[in-house]
Formats: sequence, C-alpha cells, structure tokens
Amino acid sequence: MELIQYLLDLSGIGRNRLQLRWVSAAEGQLFAKYVTEVSEITQKLGPFDADKFELPLAAVEQTLNSARIRWLLGLIKQVTEQGNVYNEKFKKEDYKKMLHQAAQEEYQKALIMRVLEERPLSVREMAEKTGLAVYTVSLRLNELERQNQAGLQKYSGNTPIFMGM
Amino acid sequence: METNKSFEPKILAFLCNWCAYAGADLAGVSRLQYPPTIRSIRVMCSGRVDPVYITDGLKSGFDSVFVSG
Repeated sequence: MELIQYLLDLSGIGRNRLQLRWVSAAEGQLFAKYVTEVSEITQKLGPFDADKFELPLAAVEQTLNSARIRWLLGLIKQVTEQGNVYNEKFKKEDYKKMLHQAAQEEYQKALIMRVLEERPLSVREMAEKTGLAVYTVSLRLNELERQNQAGLQKYSGNTPIFMGM
Repeated sequence: METNKSFEPKILAFLCNWCAYAGADLAGVSRLQYPPTIRSIRVMCSGRVDPVYITDGLKSGFDSVFVSG
C-alpha cells in the first residue's frame, strides 16, 4: 500500500486517489463517517481523467507486476526481521529507501517500454514523451538493452533509433 | 459538462467481508446517512486486494479507490 501510494505520487496521479481505512464490523457509524470523508477528499480532487493518465497508469501497473518489485515486496519481512542468507539484517527505513529507488527505476523503465511499443524512437523523443530527463532515459535504456528488452534499430543520420523487443 | 460543484465522485470500494462490509451493513441497518458515492466490492479479506486492482479501478473510470478492512 505504501509503495503504490509512492508510485501514484511519482506518476503525478497523487496518493490521495487511494484511501485506506480500518473499520470493524461493529462500527457502522465510523464506516459512514469514513465514506463521507473519502467522498469529500475525492470531490476536492475533482474527476479523474483516465485518458490523460493512460501512460503513467500503465507504467505503474507494469512496475507493480515486475519481477524485481514483486521479489522485493515479498522479502520485506524476512530481510528486515530475520536477516538474509548472510545473516545481515536491514533497517526498515533502509529497505524502504531501497524499495523506492527500485520502484522509481522500474517505473521509468516501464514508461520507456510503453512509448517504444508504439514505434521506435530516439532518446530525445523518448525523453519528450515520457517527461523524463534525457540522461535518465539513456541510463534506463542502457539497462533495458542489457536485459534484451530494447535495442538499436537503425541510425537516422547520426541519431540512433531504439526499439522495444 | 458537469460543473465541479455538482460533481459526484465515483469511488471504488474494496470492503473486507468480516470488517468493513459488515460495518457497511450495520450502517445500512441503523439507517446512517452516507453519500451514495461508493461502489463496493466485497472481498474476503482486504489483504486480497492486489495493487493492480487499484490501477485497474482508476483505469476504468473511477475517481478514487477506497480500501477498507
């Protein structure tokens, strides 16, 4: 939950679009109060334009489904409470920081993969479409190339054009 | 086009069968007023809600997602 809120922030959708509340079976009143609260928050945020956020949403989804994030999420308890195979324990905050870093990278990679699905692009075009910095795009593209998820298609003049695989 | 003032949000609610869903039931039985903005889905546990459901909900036109357990 914490991670998806972080990703919603990262993608510009905003974490307030997701609300989490605890209600027990005996607390009808509390439930009514929370629904009112959540409605008010959403009303303030205004309608959500799914078309405008199509790319970020798809990238968030791909990030959440990526093997790296699934593994990291699954290992939280083990690594922070019992320690890993070398008996090293990690602090919760450190783990969270690392998880956020990983999520951000995966999110940027997912964005790049998405825009490359449409057609092959140069680094500059990708940066424009995803809203990422050119340097960030080339870093992530490098990783994608190493994982054989993207590659060089051709040169147009001196500009390399990349495609998704 | 709706103006922002008359805008009624559509909220996707995932309610845990044992907690919030029963709570919602109780709210209904005791006739407590709450806004008709939520569309609820009963799940057997709020841990059942996969993060991807949330993005899917937003994608299919809900204004926000509410998870309660």
